Amino acid sequence: MSWIKVCKTTDVPENSLKKIWVAGGIPVLIAHYNGGYRAMPPVCPHMEEPLEESGVIAGCVLTCTKHLWAWDLATLELQGETERPLKSYDVKVDGDDLMAFIEQELLYEFEDEDDMDDDDFFKS
Amino acid sequence: MSIIFQTKSGELPIDAQNDSETVLFDGLGSGLTLPYECATGTCGTCRARVMSGDVFDVWPDAPGAQRLKRDRGDILMCQTRARGNCVIRVPALVTQAEEGAPRRFIGRIDELSKLTSDVIQFDVVLNEKATFSAGQFMVINAPGVSGGRAYSMVNYEQQTGRLTFLIKRKPGGVFSDWLFKSAGKDAEISLFGPLGKAIFQPEADGDLICITGGSGIAGIMSILEHAIRAKHFPGYSGQLYFGARTLADTFYVDKLAALTEMSSGGLKVTLALSHEAAPSSTHPASELIRLDEGFVHEVAARVLSENSVGLGENAVGFVAGPPPMVDAAIRVLLGQGKLPPDRIRYDKFS
Ligand SMILES: Cc1cc2nc3c(=O)[nH]c(=O)nc-3n(C[C@H](O)[C@H](O)[C@H](O)COP(=O)(O)OP(=O)(O)OC[C@H]3O[C@@H](n4cnc5c(N)ncnc54)[C@H](O)[C@@H]3O)c2cc1C
Ligand code: FES
Ligand code: FES
Repeated sequence: MSWIKVCKTTDVPENSLKKIWVAGGIPVLIAHYNGGYRAMPPVCPHMEEPLEESGVIAGCVLTCTKHLWAWDLATLELQGETERPLKSYDVKVDGDDLMAFIEQELLYEFEDEDDMDDDDFFKS
Repeated sequence: MSIIFQTKSGELPIDAQNDSETVLFDGLGSGLTLPYECATGTCGTCRARVMSGDVFDVWPDAPGAQRLKRDRGDILMCQTRARGNCVIRVPALVTQAEEGAPRRFIGRIDELSKLTSDVIQFDVVLNEKATFSAGQFMVINAPGVSGGRAYSMVNYEQQTGRLTFLIKRKPGGVFSDWLFKSAGKDAEISLFGPLGKAIFQPEADGDLICITGGSGIAGIMSILEHAIRAKHFPGYSGQLYFGARTLADTFYVDKLAALTEMSSGGLKVTLALSHEAAPSSTHPASELIRLDEGFVHEVAARVLSENSVGLGENAVGFVAGPPPMVDAAIRVLLGQGKLPPDRIRYDKFS
């Protein structure tokens, strides 16, 4: 796959999040923040909450209301005590359309390999 | 016996006495900053993995355990006790706190009083003095009630042998039934604490905004009391939004009026009624307490949007109550309140 049209830019008002299923059956969460758009997997990397419902955008910052993990959407910088980065797809605006570069679905590792399997990490 | 915590900050070994405490309380009691929120099996924050050793689960059906990978040895540290030496992997940064480690107390229930048809306040006289921060809670074990229950301190004293708690009756709830029916008067209970990170820090915190409903007011009372004593107002502003269903469900009106009076105009208290029209713009019992209509987070959102001054730089938001209320109030503090996420502190009474 490559650049895919996700939606119209007007479908996602500023300071809001919208989950959209793109061709190929991949769920993508679009965030419209002060200054741009981000496309990402639709769940919080902390405990898999659906970010469309648990997320709040204020200025450039996306916060999950469940445990207050937060990211700067412009730089993807982790805010405060947030421990995992957001994964994201490249996006661009083409006329009225919002496009995302999707080669394969981005997933967080909640299931198979999670951070607790990383033996090296826990060596003191 | 020894418990070794493998953490993202390295290996941290502790000595544990016996299997009478959970692994979480063993670790916290040794001063380790292990991750937790509810300390009572509902939230899942204390997830960890047993790498070796013999442990047992004191509440296998805990709601917080639903998403654990049991086949890999995953546990909730707040519901697991160790039978012997063990190694536990904790996916978090953990440090050794210098002071204020929680511990076990014995207490006797005293001065039970009913504040509304379903709210009881009581004191606990402790076997020794406790030090805690405003906003913290204790996990209480009562005779015949299996498992601990978290309750926030209502009072604030730097060091005290008497703690005040506030409990809202939960229909069918085991602890609240025990308290309401068999009148826990003079009952001996055991407590572990102090716990909780949603605390007031008078030196660092600026304007305060508190949003709460029902029994969530407990820890907020402690925070406001500390703020008054620390002369935090009127140099900084304070706003409290306290939700109740009807006027008959409101309580602490006299105490809140007294705190407002002592704040020299710094503290503003609004009671939000969700299931009844407000009969007047202030409470019939005190003109210092405003009344408004709607869910508490909606009332707070309205006032914050209308207020052009806004919150100061080091403003802090405190939220406590049932989880859906907490989520909605956090949304308001981030949105209308323009608070950054790291200036919001919450307790979910799950
Ligand atoms: C941080 C925090 C602070 C809180 N502060 C207050 C407060 O100040 N005032 C207030 O009224 N409420 C408070 N709560 C809620 C309180 O802890 C209880 O959940 C509530 O009082 C209902 O208890 P219950 O026994 O009546 O109900 P139940 O439904 O019988 O029990 C509720 C809770 O008890 C625990 N539990 C139940 N069964 C078991 C078991 N077999 N083994 C182990 N644990 C078990 C679980 O945590 C469960 O969610 C707080 C909760 C938290 C997390
Ligand atoms: S689930 Fe999003 S912060 Fe915890
Ligand atoms: S801290 Fe153990 S489940 Fe909440």
